Amino acid sequence: MKTAYCFDLDGTVTRDEILPLLSQEIGLYEEMSALTEATIKGLIPFRKSFLLRCRLLNEIPISRVQEIIAKVSLHETLAAFIRDHRDNCFIITGNLDVWVKPLEQLFGCTFHYSTATVANDRLVSVDHVLNKGDAVKRIRENFERIVAVGDGMGDVPMFEEADVRIAFGGTHPPIQSLIQFTDYVTFSEKALCNLLSMQ
Amino acid sequence: MQPVKYAIISAAGMGSRLELNMPKCMVEIAGRRIVDYQLDLLKEVEHVRIVVGFMEEQVIDHVRRLRDDVVFVRNPQFQTTSNSYSLYLATHDLREAFFAIDGDLLIDPASFQGFLDVCDGSRSVIGVTDSKTEEAVFVELDSAGKEIRAFYRQPRTPHEWCGVACLKGIRINKDQGYVYKEIEKHLPLPAYNLKCFEVDTPEDLNYAIAHFKG
Repeated sequence: MKTAYCFDLDGTVTRDEILPLLSQEIGLYEEMSALTEATIKGLIPFRKSFLLRCRLLNEIPISRVQEIIAKVSLHETLAAFIRDHRDNCFIITGNLDVWVKPLEQLFGCTFHYSTATVANDRLVSVDHVLNKGDAVKRIRENFERIVAVGDGMGDVPMFEEADVRIAFGGTHPPIQSLIQFTDYVTFSEKALCNLLSMQ
Repeated sequence: MQPVKYAIISAAGMGSRLELNMPKCMVEIAGRRIVDYQLDLLKEVEHVRIVVGFMEEQVIDHVRRLRDDVVFVRNPQFQTTSNSYSLYLATHDLREAFFAIDGDLLIDPASFQGFLDVCDGSRSVIGVTDSKTEEAVFVELDSAGKEIRAFYRQPRTPHEWCGVACLKGIRINKDQGYVYKEIEKHLPLPAYNLKCFEVDTPEDLNYAIAHFKG
């Protein structure tokens, strides 16, 4: 049976949440962290919160954003699993295509992301905000079984379309309402990779 | 490191007969919870999975502070399913030998170490204990007392199935009601006599408190 592995990016594959990391550039770390945390918990809808966060971050040159994201700390064992299985691993992220490009090159697997228009190294507009459930539906066209890994409220649509759902608390504890949608919960990267290797 | 690499603790049930508002694995005896003692016994086992259901949030929160690499397997249907279904959820992806342990058992550590020592992953070994209860699944052993010949509810025998096993090549079926029914298909199998206490009723709990030396 052909299995696809779908991963949330922020706080799942990366150790840090990317948007708060970027916001350090413009001195809004505390504000961005609060907004990100509220979004993960589902207190603010992802789309609204994401557009607002993009608006706050759009003064940072895209090249600088990519520089920061290229150095983001990763769950290295998990990253190695993704690189080793690049043909059937997918990163499903609400983040912008133009921002996460360095990670796309690093992993060599297919990314599903939100898309944006850029001019003169600046973000001009966010054109499409990804619905993670839609991304999984597209992946399913070529795979019979979907294993999904995530940690926040934004991952619920992905889990609703998946066959095996794993909540991973590698960066912060997965929220309780997400856990209700899962088959497995783990806080350990080693245990997660072992579990993935069994699927 | 223990050659059997996986251990499953089935701890999803409500434990309603105990009449305490907590899962049985969280019951305290001598200042520690049952699951604390069990995790001690499994220190040398590489991968531990715990099936959670009733009050799963509390169990997860407690266990992850004791051992951070546990995989929690969720059984949201814990109210209408059996231990066997929980064990199916935790093992359907495993092809190698694993330990299965009921989450309501207090097991004498020295006795469990002896059990670990005979489990090399090449065969199943089934835990039995001296009969203590009336509602047990009794076992008929061979004359040397080393192999299980049969399981039955009646008549009572000197030994009962204790809810601990090392299973190799025994698949737990999704629809089967009892774990021992799956094991039964593969008899005869080696038995190992464990000193353990099941905490199922308030009387069991009192008995365990009086006799268990963790």
